[in-house]
Amino acid sequence: MKSIDDFSRPEEYISPMDKYFRSAVRAWAAKDVLPHRRRFDEDWKEHALIEPAFDALMANKGLGIQKALFPADLGGWGLGQSDYAFTIACTLAEEVGRADTAMAVAFMVTYWPLTTILVEPHVNRRLAAQFAPMFCNSDKAVFAALAMTEPQGGADIENMELLGGKTIKTTARLDGDEWVINGHKLWPTNTAGVGQLFGVPCTTCVGSNDPNDFALIFVPADVKGVTQGGPYEKAGMAADKNGDLWFEDVRVPAWYRAHGPGKDAEVFKEIIPWGLVGSMGFLVGAMMNLYEVLYEFVSTRTYGNRPLKENDAIAGLIGRIAGDIEVCRILAYEGARIGDRRNRPYGHPLYSEEVLAKLRNLKDFVCDRAVENFGRAMDVLGVYGPDRQYDIEKHWRDIKIIQLWMGGKQLCQMEAARFFYNCKTL
Amino acid sequence: MHKSLDSLFLSTREKIDEEEQRIINTVRQWAEREILAKRLAYLEHYDREFAAKRRMLLMDIGLQRLALSEENGGFGWNSTTRAPSLAAVLMEIGRADAATAYLSALQFTNLLACGAKYTTPVGALISSFYSSDQPVNPALILPGPGTVDEQTPLFFGRSINVRLIHKGDEDILVGNNIRTAGCGAIADHFCVVCADSDGKPCITFVPADAQGVQRGNILKETGLNACTNADIKFNNVRISREAILKGSDAVERIYIWLNLFLGAVSIGAAMNFFEIVYDWANTRTIKGCSIMKDNPLCASVLAEVAEEIAIARFLIDDLARLISKMTVTNVQEMQHVYTMSQILGYRIQQGALRAVNRGMELMGSAGYAREWHAEKHWRDIKTIQSYLCGVGAEVPVKMDTARFFFDCKDI
Repeated sequence: MKSIDDFSRPEEYISPMDKYFRSAVRAWAAKDVLPHRRRFDEDWKEHALIEPAFDALMANKGLGIQKALFPADLGGWGLGQSDYAFTIACTLAEEVGRADTAMAVAFMVTYWPLTTILVEPHVNRRLAAQFAPMFCNSDKAVFAALAMTEPQGGADIENMELLGGKTIKTTARLDGDEWVINGHKLWPTNTAGVGQLFGVPCTTCVGSNDPNDFALIFVPADVKGVTQGGPYEKAGMAADKNGDLWFEDVRVPAWYRAHGPGKDAEVFKEIIPWGLVGSMGFLVGAMMNLYEVLYEFVSTRTYGNRPLKENDAIAGLIGRIAGDIEVCRILAYEGARIGDRRNRPYGHPLYSEEVLAKLRNLKDFVCDRAVENFGRAMDVLGVYGPDRQYDIEKHWRDIKIIQLWMGGKQLCQMEAARFFYNCKTL
Repeated sequence: MHKSLDSLFLSTREKIDEEEQRIINTVRQWAEREILAKRLAYLEHYDREFAAKRRMLLMDIGLQRLALSEENGGFGWNSTTRAPSLAAVLMEIGRADAATAYLSALQFTNLLACGAKYTTPVGALISSFYSSDQPVNPALILPGPGTVDEQTPLFFGRSINVRLIHKGDEDILVGNNIRTAGCGAIADHFCVVCADSDGKPCITFVPADAQGVQRGNILKETGLNACTNADIKFNNVRISREAILKGSDAVERIYIWLNLFLGAVSIGAAMNFFEIVYDWANTRTIKGCSIMKDNPLCASVLAEVAEEIAIARFLIDDLARLISKMTVTNVQEMQHVYTMSQILGYRIQQGALRAVNRGMELMGSAGYAREWHAEKHWRDIKTIQSYLCGVGAEVPVKMDTARFFFDCKDI
């Protein structure tokens, strides 16, 4: 059998550390996830099976990967300072996503709010030092969340180019040397009792689209006034808990704001590329696992008493699937490299319209191909397609939300149109 | 939603009589009062509610006897002319719950494809199954994937994995790890496409409690969760002569009716999804102000949802009309209808799934959360689609089509 590593990627982009990360995570997946993942769906509420797997990946008693972004002198691995931060993120998303995209999401989203204070050129040393012990010294998986979505506006909050945060209802009021936060967030990954630290986009002036009124404030989960609701039951993604999050007169020190007026809006725009590259990594990883399962099935099951893969028509179909995986993997790493070029003379800032539009395009494309190919692969398996023992149906259920999140297809299309056609009113 | 689905999605169904309309209306009332109006409670206690509501439908309303002949105490909807009305009934059930509709679709398939002639021995046997005063769970074993270490008899390329062996005066059914199209774990009887001693396709009906029938472990599947599935082993099961229906045309008939009935189930589920997304798009805003449906991009996605369902409804009406005019004795006509049913059935499933897939994009996380019910329709339709594919995605249907239209000999 050909290996999943035979799918192409631009090798000149790949970090020298890639092979070490990849082999460590692949070994973790083989031992801690693949033997158990078919039972994850029933574990969506308790995480009795899922939690140990997270500990083995993220905490010090396992691979300890949750500390990766923190500076080395604060106990981390210093990846926030790496020229390959995006590319390594893509690798991690891919490898964990191959095992379970929900685990990949929950794990990577922990980095998400932290990128705004740990990744060059926006390192906030004081906040980094404050939160480093939480992530670097723990024998348990520690989760962070980016609490963006609000009930009234869905993905409007991610549409910063047009709306500039004017739909945000969660308020932050400065009272002496403390922020007082009130609001309701909906559906953030790593909530429902899981999250220990939240990055909370707020407004200091309701209805304003002035970037200076946008505030990104860190809120530990154990602060008085923070309430996490129970997890939503979903079509899939059992390892990723989503719930409601309420802030009622929550007080945190003033310096828990990521960077300050204007800069917060800028770094908030910068988190979108991280989410887009991560999304592509999850999908490519899942598709690589699809290939593994499909290879076995089409080699051992028959149509017309010949292996499925030896029928010209079916070969055309599975060949297209493999071709799409190949293309999507190349695109995912191309997207990662766009992120890693952010500080280069020939690159563009992460908050730029160009980076956002191009990465949204890539994510939209990869999502479409993944959704199509998983559905198609289930049909190749036919009567076995819906069977969880074959793993493809779990991925099919899991990955649909990747297409829907971060504004879904429509926001991707709008960002692309704005950039490429100079649209003024979208 | 203040508009009726019938006024939005026009039907080309030919005139149906008063009695048929009355039954369709009754089923619609059952769907709306018993399930749609109590959706969250239905989902929360699904196992219990499913059984109770299905019993009400099959026993109290009497739907289990709908496709039984009048001579057997049924409603007498056991002829091809009833195809449009039976499809309409399944659409109504599918709107409420695809799993309930799926089981009824299998019942109707068994009766219409194999037992319509109640005077034949096999017809009498099947009729006796559905004369029960308890809800009956059928399961269907279709040709599908084979394995590389075994050459099997084929039904148009699909492997027939169950063998009916004639020994002396007996017919013995043999098959290992046989995958049913749902319901394997709960079936009261199996309709099995098998191959006789000459390798010719035929059909047998096997009570689940027959000696030698063994069920495997319960399978976890994507959707149709009430149709709990398991693999089946037929360990030298003795089959009585009256339980055997010979001839590949019998298998073709099964596919013809399945394509119609399961198409109706999926369209029903998609129509309820339409209602869900209609309400969603009317109450949610985008860009901080405009109602979602009034945003041109969202409107174009909503339009696709409606288009797919509208087209699928026309296709199912066409298929029903085709079947209603089919004469059971003309082999060539049967092959034509079989091919058309495969083409239309595949397109209908694709359309229903595409409608839900696209609509979910607008609903975002709500489309993905169980409480909104959209994702259930998505999983149920996908499961039906994969069951119908059997193996190799759309390729077997394409081969059927090419074989008929281009006289291909070796595919």
